[in-house]
Amino acid sequence: MVRPLVRIVRHGLLLALVVSSLGGCVVVKAHERGNLAKRSMTNDKDAGEARFNQHMTGSREGADGGTGQPGGGCGCN
Amino acid sequence: MTTAPKVALISVVGVLAALAGTAHADGSLSMRGVYYKERATRVVQPMLDGMFDVGTRGTLAAHLLVDAITSASASSGADNSKPFTEKRYEGGAAYTHELSNLRLGAEGKYSTESDYTSIYAGVRAEADLFQKNTTIGAGGGYAHDKASAGSAQGLAQPMVQCSPTKTANECPLDSYSAFGSLTQILGKNVVGSVSYDFSKLDGYQSNPYRTAITDTGEVAERNPTERTRQAVAGTLRVFVPQTQTAFIGAYRYYWDDWAVHAHTPELRIVQQVSYVADASFRYRYYHQDGAFFYQDRYATGDVTMQRYVTDDVKLDSFTGHTFEAKLGVFGEAFGAGGRWAGARFEGILEYVLQHPRFGNAIIGQFALTVPFDY
Repeated sequence: MVRPLVRIVRHGLLLALVVSSLGGCVVVKAHERGNLAKRSMTNDKDAGEARFNQHMTGSREGADGGTGQPGGGCGCN
Repeated sequence: MTTAPKVALISVVGVLAALAGTAHADGSLSMRGVYYKERATRVVQPMLDGMFDVGTRGTLAAHLLVDAITSASASSGADNSKPFTEKRYEGGAAYTHELSNLRLGAEGKYSTESDYTSIYAGVRAEADLFQKNTTIGAGGGYAHDKASAGSAQGLAQPMVQCSPTKTANECPLDSYSAFGSLTQILGKNVVGSVSYDFSKLDGYQSNPYRTAITDTGEVAERNPTERTRQAVAGTLRVFVPQTQTAFIGAYRYYWDDWAVHAHTPELRIVQQVSYVADASFRYRYYHQDGAFFYQDRYATGDVTMQRYVTDDVKLDSFTGHTFEAKLGVFGEAFGAGGRWAGARFEGILEYVLQHPRFGNAIIGQFALTVPFDY
């Protein structure tokens, strides 16, 4: 359990490094974000659709997880 | 349709109608029905999702669903390939609180069926940076599952081999997970995101009904009791204003210590048909390697010579393809007024080419989302 935790911390630090370098990226002002606010650019899948897709792939494919939430009652090991 | 689903459906439609007429709350209520069909399995899944504002800074999301699975597959618990129907019930809730540029959330989920229960709790945090051009997120959770062989057909419950040294009526599985994400606006019409997920599973991860084929006969499946799973994913969304089209490209790479590696690229194209309708097409490619212990047939089932045996084709090497078409229409397109003008009707049709043992699947979904305020 300790080694994976070390790995998470390492990845977290890498993420923090990437984020800290983003300050120099292009800045789009709030009034220029009309297109970015559209449904297709934010979240084009409803919660129910995403949940069913996750459940279905979890019961038919071996690469489950990676969605921030394991388990949840698939019952289809 | 039997009486119970009819009553549930009428109740939900009644609630939606009442909300549309007298609503004073901020939120939305969504009803979705899914039908899934493959060679030996049919699934009907009605679900209800609600989202409500709590005060000025909180949001509560909750869901309820029933998974009615009719299957003739032995790995689902079918006796002598006789089809049977089993129901799974799931409920969950998530609360998010906003503090300036920071969002904090907690969520829980419970699921139960005749031979499997699961409970999950998790927390997450998101922060907006650089004038909200960047969002970082992180979270984690814990799930506790219990599996048994108490199949839906009312058979006497057999004992399950939880681990090489333990046999019991039911076997536990503990899962610990963590994730981090980063979303960055890259231009007026471009946004990208990356994420990393980690989960550690400790406990029973076999199927109590499944047997592996060996030269000396069939033996109960024996999968390892520990598994570390990781995934990185990236998404790029590009909007083309001239045609009102969004192109969404995603890629996910998964790996674990059972030697399963998977590549999942995906492309979605969302076309705004008018201001009241949109249509989209999705293609998803999936390829995975097999687990280090997976074999179609084992030379022996002797645990001293073959520690792990499985007949789970999810641990085999295979390639899959998904094709999906979706149409979303707002109530205004039908001349509806008031709150029903903002109600969204959605239909989805999917065709999935998956492992040959399951056979290809066809999926249909219909959803209705009604906004309301209070």
